[in-house]
This record gives sequence, C-alpha cells and structure tokens, in this order.
Amino acid sequence: MLSVFKNIPTHMDYKGQKLAEQIFQGIILISAVIGFVYGLIIQQFGWTVYIVLAGFAVSCLLTLPPWPMYRRNPLPWQPVAPEASGEPTPKPQDNTKRKKHK
Amino acid sequence: MNTVLSRANSLFAFSLSVMAALTFGCFVTTAFKDRRVPVDIHVSKVMLKNVDDFTGPRERSDLGFITFDILADLEPIFDWNVKQLFLYLSAEYATKSNSLNQVVLWDRIILRGDNTKLNLRDMKSKYFFFDDGNGLRANKNITMTLSWNVVPNAGILPLVAGSGHVSLPFPEQYETTKSY
Repeated sequence: MLSVFKNIPTHMDYKGQKLAEQIFQGIILISAVIGFVYGLIIQQFGWTVYIVLAGFAVSCLLTLPPWPMYRRNPLPWQPVAPEASGEPTPKPQDNTKRKKHK
Repeated sequence: MNTVLSRANSLFAFSLSVMAALTFGCFVTTAFKDRRVPVDIHVSKVMLKNVDDFTGPRERSDLGFITFDILADLEPIFDWNVKQLFLYLSAEYATKSNSLNQVVLWDRIILRGDNTKLNLRDMKSKYFFFDDGNGLRANKNITMTLSWNVVPNAGILPLVAGSGHVSLPFPEQYETTKSY
C-alpha cells in the first residue's frame, strides 16, 4: 500500500526547486495585491480572502506536482565506476557538463 | 530535502503570512476612521414607580419606564473591517450617593448586511431602569445616549458614543406618566 505512494515521482532538480518557489511566491503575492485592492474597492474583506485562497489553489496545482518544467536540469551523475582495485579515483569521461556547486 | 510535503508546507506557511499581512492592512485602512454618526433620540413618555427592589436591601427603589424613538442612519459606520455593531441606549444621571450612574436600557445587534437605517418608534426599554435608591424621582437631568461597539474583523474594538443625546427631567411624583 505504501509502496504505491512511494512510486509516485515527486523529485525536482535544484533549478526546478528554485523556479517552483519563485512561481508560488509570485502567484500568491500577485493574488494578494489583487485581492486587497478589490476588497478595498467593494469593501468586502471576504473577497480578499477568497482571492488569496484562489491564488493558493493555483500555486498548489502549479508547484506541488513535479511537472516536466521543473526537471529540465538533471544533475550529471558520474558514470558508474568499474570495480577496479588499482584505481581508487577514476576520472569521469566529460568534465564539461558538470554542474557548478553553489 | 525537497519533497511534495516540504513544498506544500512552505506554500502554506507563505500564504498564511501573506494573509496575516493583508489582515493587518485591512486594520490599518480603517484604524483612524471616525465612526460617530448623528443620532436623533426622542423620549415620548416616562413613568416612575417606587417598588421593592428584591436584589438589594429591603427598601423601595425607583423604577423608571420610558418610551422612546430613535432615528439614525448607521450606513457610514460600516466598512470592510466591520462585522457587526452592538448598539445600546444608556441613561446617565447624578444622584446624591453617586456622581455618575449609568444604566443600559436597551440594546440591539446590527449585523453586516442588515438594514442600517434605524427608525424605531415607541420602543419600550428591554432592561429595568432601576436606581439603587430614590434618585430618579424629580431628577432634573437624566441623559439618554446611544452608543455602540464596533466589532471588527481585525484590530481594536472601538466604543463610540453617537453624537446627539437627549436630557430630560423625571416626574415629581410616583405612578404618574409624563409625556414630552
């Protein structure tokens, strides 16, 4: 039963995580500004809350599932080193694509 | 570790913080508003009795019955930070034993969306107008004021006295009705 949930892919790469965070913050802040102005105009604070909740729902939909746009920069893993006793640190084949550490 | 749950958690926390900031903004936009409106109170009839006050010492106390009209438009009070108004009519007067007596005679809750035009005719008081002695008879100056609590969505709970009150003298004898 639990293995069913564990098999659902949830992974985002690092750039995707940053993008997801920027997207949900942007959506919620924009919906907050819109909701505040609209609520101030019609003098109903309830509508402000509803609009922020709508922004919350939209950003849940956009940033919780690992959509393909969050998986465009996968980490270039080194190839599996052959089990050789003589060489402790085998060099990777191509260094050009290695991701820079932050 | 970035998982669905950790993303959901940060999303929820951020939304909650933004909502709190908006609520504070709602409070700020209405914090300095003047919530007084003109109120027209008219007392048409006053009756005075001297009855046993069973709650206090076994003496007879003054009990007043008043009939009043209230005319007010409360529309300017309501804005997006007001949930309801608690109106109450109070009588203020001075006696020999107390320099200030305040008795609440009547109240009403006006919810947001209710009719804000108050046009009440020949209302009886809801609560007993008991003095704690014999201070009502021949009292020259009894002042009726309509005040209200503004119940907000967020922020302070202001207590506002309506501008416009009526002062009247009470009858000289018991069991008599005085019309104004």
